[in-house]
Amino acid sequence: MPTTDGLRPDAGERAFIDQVIARRSARPGALLGILEEVQEHQPRKYLCLDTIRYVAEKTGTSLSQIFSVVTFYALFNREPQGDHTIAICRGTACHTRGSRSLLESLRLELGLDEDGAHADKLTLTTPNGRFTIRTVACFGQCALAPVVEVDHRICGHMNEGVLKREVQALAGKESQ
Amino acid sequence: MPQKRSIRIDGELVQVARGETILDAARAAGRTIPTLCHFDGLRNSGACRLCIVEVSGSNRLLPACTTPAEDGMAVTTSSPKLTAYRRMTIELLLAERNHLCSVCVSNGHCELQALATSIGVTSVRFRYRYPALPVDQSHERYVLDHNRCVLCSRCVRVCAELEGAHVWDFMSRGIQLRVVSDLDQPWAEALACTNCGKCVQACPTGALVEKGRAVEEMAKRCSQVAQVAMKRGAPR
Repeated sequence: MPTTDGLRPDAGERAFIDQVIARRSARPGALLGILEEVQEHQPRKYLCLDTIRYVAEKTGTSLSQIFSVVTFYALFNREPQGDHTIAICRGTACHTRGSRSLLESLRLELGLDEDGAHADKLTLTTPNGRFTIRTVACFGQCALAPVVEVDHRICGHMNEGVLKREVQALAGKESQ
Repeated sequence: MPQKRSIRIDGELVQVARGETILDAARAAGRTIPTLCHFDGLRNSGACRLCIVEVSGSNRLLPACTTPAEDGMAVTTSSPKLTAYRRMTIELLLAERNHLCSVCVSNGHCELQALATSIGVTSVRFRYRYPALPVDQSHERYVLDHNRCVLCSRCVRVCAELEGAHVWDFMSRGIQLRVVSDLDQPWAEALACTNCGKCVQACPTGALVEKGRAVEEMAKRCSQVAQVAMKRGAPR
């Protein structure tokens, strides 16, 4: 495991992190909010080791504790995320309404099925960095099952055809 | 003058100070409750679920180490039901990773082994998972073998609370849970580590051991670390 990934936050990023910490650190339990805001500010919406290291240094938290928080919550990404995020619900209701085949067809569509793992819990990003697909446990919208979230927009009663069109629409928007 | 709480432990009336737990009360009454993740002088985490007790009026089993003693509580510390659950807990711990005693440096000095013996675990009903987990031998004097780890968090707490270094913490969750140093780096690269070895002495199994020990040679000095922790004043 490398101790650094050579992505030490630049001066602007450091100033932003300092500002977030200054604003939030007075409150107890501030770490989650700080990390969330820092991640959201990253162009690729993820926390690299050097960013974690910088936050640890500035908040006076131990590295292991921050690492523990970042790996515990699915909200935090440790890999660069794609331009568009498609989240497929794998909760029970969506599962019974066919979310597995939705996931499989989406993986085929984006060419993300080569590593063969039929894991039900995954986060995959296309090599060109355009799309990230992830599974989630439940959106709490079971009446709309199967539910897919496309760039933070909830789409209910999803089927393979509609999902394919959604993906093509996003891909088309990119190429224009 | 601290307020006193009256609590019945297996029928016997015990007086404990406010903030003390059922475990403290049971010990004051001379009862032995099996514990694994509890470590004298450190905060309790309620991780191992071996100290579960029956409290009248509650239909759940409660961990004695994290449940504060309250006035009028009537606690049962041993019953066939409790033994059955404790047995199952031990079996699940044994099945989760590799706990082959015969080739372990801590054989004969292991708290998990001692608990299994005292609770009467002679076989494990569950299929052994035996995941192939890494062994970190990077440190000059100590070894971390994840395969023997029971995730009791004693090393995490002794390092954070007593040594003040907080080198260890847990990564991920559920079945993926694993102890890591700093940012999941080899132990030797953990800058915060002071090489004090308290984590090694506090570890109940053969997960954290001194280098160069052969089978059955790794006797831990738990009580010495606990004494230091107690002298500092037990945290609440």
